[in-house]
Amino acid sequence: MEPKIETGWCPGCGNFAIRDVLEKVFADLPILRNKIVLTSGIGQAAKMPQYLDVNYFNGLHGRSLPPAVGIKLARPDLTVIAYSGDGCMYGEGGNHFIQTLRRRLDITILVSENQVYGLTKGQSSPTTALAVKNDLSPGGNPNLPLNPLALAVTMGAPFVARGFAGDKEHLKALIREAILFKGTAVVDILQPCVSFNKINTYAWYRERVFKLERPLTDRYEAIRTADLWGEKIPIGVIYRNDEAPCREIKEIFQVPLTKADVASRLHMRCVMMR
Amino acid sequence: MEFNVLIGGEGGQGAFSVELELTEILTRLNYHFFATKHYMSRIRGGHNFHMVRIADHPVHALNGGKWEMIAALDDETEALHKPDLREDGIFLSRERTKEIGAESKKLFGEIRAANTALVGIILTVIGVTPEKMAEAAEPGKAEWLKKSGDFAVRWGIAGAFPVSAAAVCPAKFDGNQALAFGALLGGCRFLAGYPMTPATSILHYFSEAAEDLPVHFEQAEDEIAAINMALGASYAGVRSMAATSGGGFALMQEGVSLAGMTETPIVIAVAQRPGPATGLPTRTEQGDLNFILHAGHGEFPRVLFAPGSIVETIELARKAFDLSDRYQIPVFLLTDQYFADSVHVIEEEEIPLDVIARECPVFDETYKRYRLTGNGISPLTFPGLSDALVKLDSDEHDEEGKITEDPELRKRMMDKRLKKMGLLKQEAVLPTFCGAMDAAAVVLCWGSNRLIVKEAVERLNAAGLSVCALHFGQVYPLTPAMIAPYRLEAKKRICVENNATGQFTGLLKRELGLAVDHKVLKCDGDCFTVLELYRTLKGLLT
Ligand SMILES: Cc1ncc(C[n+]2csc(CCOP(=O)(O)OP(=O)(O)O)c2C)c(N)n1
Ligand code: SF4
Ligand SMILES: [Mg+2]
Repeated sequence: MEPKIETGWCPGCGNFAIRDVLEKVFADLPILRNKIVLTSGIGQAAKMPQYLDVNYFNGLHGRSLPPAVGIKLARPDLTVIAYSGDGCMYGEGGNHFIQTLRRRLDITILVSENQVYGLTKGQSSPTTALAVKNDLSPGGNPNLPLNPLALAVTMGAPFVARGFAGDKEHLKALIREAILFKGTAVVDILQPCVSFNKINTYAWYRERVFKLERPLTDRYEAIRTADLWGEKIPIGVIYRNDEAPCREIKEIFQVPLTKADVASRLHMRCVMMR
Repeated sequence: MEFNVLIGGEGGQGAFSVELELTEILTRLNYHFFATKHYMSRIRGGHNFHMVRIADHPVHALNGGKWEMIAALDDETEALHKPDLREDGIFLSRERTKEIGAESKKLFGEIRAANTALVGIILTVIGVTPEKMAEAAEPGKAEWLKKSGDFAVRWGIAGAFPVSAAAVCPAKFDGNQALAFGALLGGCRFLAGYPMTPATSILHYFSEAAEDLPVHFEQAEDEIAAINMALGASYAGVRSMAATSGGGFALMQEGVSLAGMTETPIVIAVAQRPGPATGLPTRTEQGDLNFILHAGHGEFPRVLFAPGSIVETIELARKAFDLSDRYQIPVFLLTDQYFADSVHVIEEEEIPLDVIARECPVFDETYKRYRLTGNGISPLTFPGLSDALVKLDSDEHDEEGKITEDPELRKRMMDKRLKKMGLLKQEAVLPTFCGAMDAAAVVLCWGSNRLIVKEAVERLNAAGLSVCALHFGQVYPLTPAMIAPYRLEAKKRICVENNATGQFTGLLKRELGLAVDHKVLKCDGDCFTVLELYRTLKGLLT
């Protein structure tokens, strides 16, 4: 059994299961724990790193990804995992999500998908379904939900998956695969929020989720599969492309910069007016 | 002896190329000069002008007097600038420059040769021989340059304003080059940014350096991402910088606050331009001092540098990284369009070349990122170097870096962070004084006005007026020790600033209780010239 830890989560929250899974994944990854860095934003999900024994950069709301990019570029030797909620990752940080996928870095993006702003007490998030009512949308959410998986596939992410907090074994294999995948890997994790989302409950998901047998490798088929929602909800690797090369990162950390190096910068052409 | 030349033309006509080639050759020929420009926020058309002051002694500002020579590549140059030509000055009219273009094209088969020919004419006017020009020419352009003297001879202007070359091993720097160079010396290895005038040339410098040095430049999707990337890189162990202008910095503010709370070292360069909003994108102002001073929610220590010369820029940029690292705080480098786009000559021996290497202390598993210590500074290390886990938190946190809402701990953590301000004050960079200690008046200034003020004060002294100058390269924090030696309270005090409201004047009052008698302000988007300041100050002093 895991030792009991103090968290800021509600009893029954799907994040507990995800935390347990991460703990297990980290324990048997072929990577030293001190080489793992979690970045996160702000939200209930974004507290995740605080409850795991790894390095972390728990930054600002919406900003789990830019620090992850900075860390990976500065220290390619580190295993970088960004963790946040749907609001943080796809709302406040939505542009970072799109742009980070374009950077072709070997990082993992994990999202607690509860279709709600949990920490701020139940407002619509970018993935809240149309017409769902809450305090700030008493007449029902007027917006269409964003489809993070289809978006990720469209943006060229080479590894796109969906997990479910109600199936820990499956989730564990998925997250492990995502971390070990060489390239940007996205895992959107269905995470029931017992306090503010009375629709997408454990029971609701259990009736609907089905496991994909093998990773899809065709982008268009992947997008069609990512589009399935409602009656049937696929979990597993929705898209995997092992051919997409990662970006080469130059070593800069602790590589000395000599006097001759800086002297080489003298007598340079002026580049002004910009 | 000095020679002031203005080259005016539409964007894209080549006036900038003339400035670049001329200043390059002047440097190789050991001339002292200063060059700056006035340009519009467009790529083609409009009216831009480039100003070069060539002298037999160091010059670091626009003279502001009449031009010895004006070259017109467009019609507007004549209308706008000819009234400011000396009576015996040389005016190369639109017709003349067209003639140069047509003949150069005929002779060399390339219209590009016309720019070089204009450079050659200017050099001939100051007495450079064709042989010397050929020696200093850019590759493949020796013939073009040599031939161009013929125009000057034909028009009877060869040697009209002779200037001797008196610089010893000169090196030229524009303001942003100096800032970026200083950053490299400070150990900066990572720059993230999003293009915005007048900061883009800093990004350019790093992207170029990254081609062959252990340095990384990342073009971010926006300024929010830029500063957060830089903070990520800094957390991971690499000294980092973000560079932008006021509008971009507005987006970076959350990152400043994040650096304050997480005690992550970062240097932020802000190249100011006139606001509000998009303002005048390619002109100059010192309008963002208050903004940068107060940027970021919450209370945390910071330092603001606003260097005013090339060497000071290099030194303060280097120091910014050292301070930022030792105190784990955000440090700002304020510059502006005027300084960014001006070229100065310094002598090679003045250039600092020592690189600061970052220390990477190693700890064991008992490491706590925010350990409470006597002076508020917790030992800093980076992830993956040992069993020490590095936990950084934007929430209020305990020593380990975990969220806390404990009021007692909150207070201790606030005290810890703010305590650093006291130590920073002891390390304040002293202002630069020029003139006589017992002068009756003092001109106070900060940032890019330093050398304009210096020359204006020297001229006032030469005219028998008792005035000195004090320039602040560190604008925050301000400490009593910085002004103690100068008995400012006994002098008439005048503050010179490129903004509309006198922001530094307000800061002097607030921080040091120092009231200023007169403010000399300018907010039309242009820099001060020496003559302009001389006249205004003279009016206030007599
Ligand atoms: C700039 C900023 N805006 C708003 C907030 C308030 N805020 C904190 S968390 C959050 C939403 C969290 O939603 P999500 O990311 O889905 O996380 P969850 O709590 O649902 O796990 C908001 C709006 C903030 N901290 N910072
Ligand atoms: S509000 Fe929802 S998501 Fe947040 S801890 Fe409670 S149950 Fe979990
Ligand atoms: Mg959520």
